[in-house]
Amino acid sequence: MTDSIQQQIFEIIAKQAKVDVATIKPESTLKDLGIASLDAIELIFDIEEHFNVNFPDQQGANFDSDTAQSLVDAVHKALDQKAAGGEGNA
Amino acid sequence: MSVQSLRRVVITGMGAISPLGVGADALWQGLREGRSGIRPLRHPDAERLKLKIAAQVPESFDPAANIDERTLPLLDRTSAFALHAAREAIGQSGIDFSHGELSLRTAVVVGTGVGGETTQDEQSRRLYAEHAQRTHPLTIVRLMTNASASHISITYGLRGPTFAVASACASANHAIIQAAQMIRYGMVDAAVSGGTEACLTFGAIRAWEAMRVLADDTCRPFSANRRGLVLGEGAAIFVLESLEHARSRGAVILAELVGIGMTADATDIVMPSAKGSSAAMRQALADARLAAQDIDYINAHGTGTQANDATETKAIHLAFGAHVDRLAVSSTKSMHGHALGASGALELVAVIGALRDGVVPPTANLDKADPACDLDYVPNTAREMPVRAALSNSFAFGGLNAVLALRRAP
Repeated sequence: MTDSIQQQIFEIIAKQAKVDVATIKPESTLKDLGIASLDAIELIFDIEEHFNVNFPDQQGANFDSDTAQSLVDAVHKALDQKAAGGEGNA
Repeated sequence: MSVQSLRRVVITGMGAISPLGVGADALWQGLREGRSGIRPLRHPDAERLKLKIAAQVPESFDPAANIDERTLPLLDRTSAFALHAAREAIGQSGIDFSHGELSLRTAVVVGTGVGGETTQDEQSRRLYAEHAQRTHPLTIVRLMTNASASHISITYGLRGPTFAVASACASANHAIIQAAQMIRYGMVDAAVSGGTEACLTFGAIRAWEAMRVLADDTCRPFSANRRGLVLGEGAAIFVLESLEHARSRGAVILAELVGIGMTADATDIVMPSAKGSSAAMRQALADARLAAQDIDYINAHGTGTQANDATETKAIHLAFGAHVDRLAVSSTKSMHGHALGASGALELVAVIGALRDGVVPPTANLDKADPACDLDYVPNTAREMPVRAALSNSFAFGGLNAVLALRRAP
């Protein structure tokens, strides 16, 4: 399941960044992948839509240093909260 | 026409509806006292929204006051704000539009980022959520972006050039610049101009939430712990006249609009560029024939987002060089919120107050220094100091910059 979630997220990132999914590593930052501010917001939206979850607001988040793995972690956290009976509103 | 032969433009009336209350005086007194208009969001769907705070016009504002009952059904909230502010401004200026050909030589230019969003949202809800068969027949005349300008024209019989200007968060400054230019070049003798916005609808708030630029605590411009902007609403409208016209009728002059600067970043749809905004500030200074050291105060765009505040600081450095050490810079959005297309107009009330009273309004909620924001932002408490001349910055999504330069009344 973990692998599958990671794989799905990497595919969404690959589509947004227009890169081969094989080039994405957990430690790749959004900046490494050429995803700038507005693209990053769009990417987060795509991931939220795909998994039907809501991430907390990322005001102050640093898109230069956020990694692919941090997105995978955020999805796991949001899915756990949803399973625990919340609405996924972290 | 050379700059030297252009007519001088002065402001003789101002009116406002803002989160700090009804009237330009309520806004200015609130700002100089450092009071905040940011409150828990009042909205019928507040439970379903992530947004918890906003800078809204108080509930005590009565759109029906002083507006005749035939006009009222024609008004979106945006136009109601604009009409109330215009009434105050025109009343203060004492201008008589029935005099000679003045009504034909008066322009109306009103900035709004979105226009009749409340109407749009209500009618969409009817169609899509309630499956209504039809929309209200006045939907179009309420929501059109030019409605505010047209209602001011109709109410006061103003027959000169009348139109709306839309440039997102720079709309008000762009509008005032258009009005001022028509006076400068002699196309008109007077203008009623400013900005209005009222777009805190469910749909618009959801759209802002999706951009992830909204603060969840308060608006903290230039503070290291800033978390984004706080949405606001309101209107401010001004009466502009040529200096000779104002003098000929013995008007009280509030301030002189001495320079304008407009540029586009031409880089990114949302990320600001210091190059673009500093060029607009330099243009405004050159147009005003003012040197950097003539400016005592800048009312900053200062939204409270990470990107704006650091970039604007850099732009002020680029435009002012060594003189930055003697500049007072503040963001009054920390108190009246970000009224988008009306923000430049609300901020012009602050600049006129600073010039007239010799008081620079503070940047509220600035409690943690940010190395990327290293100017004197007049934190938390107003400062008494002579203000000879000032700039007012407005920068918009889309990379659009509009800067006004003002001087004390001649």
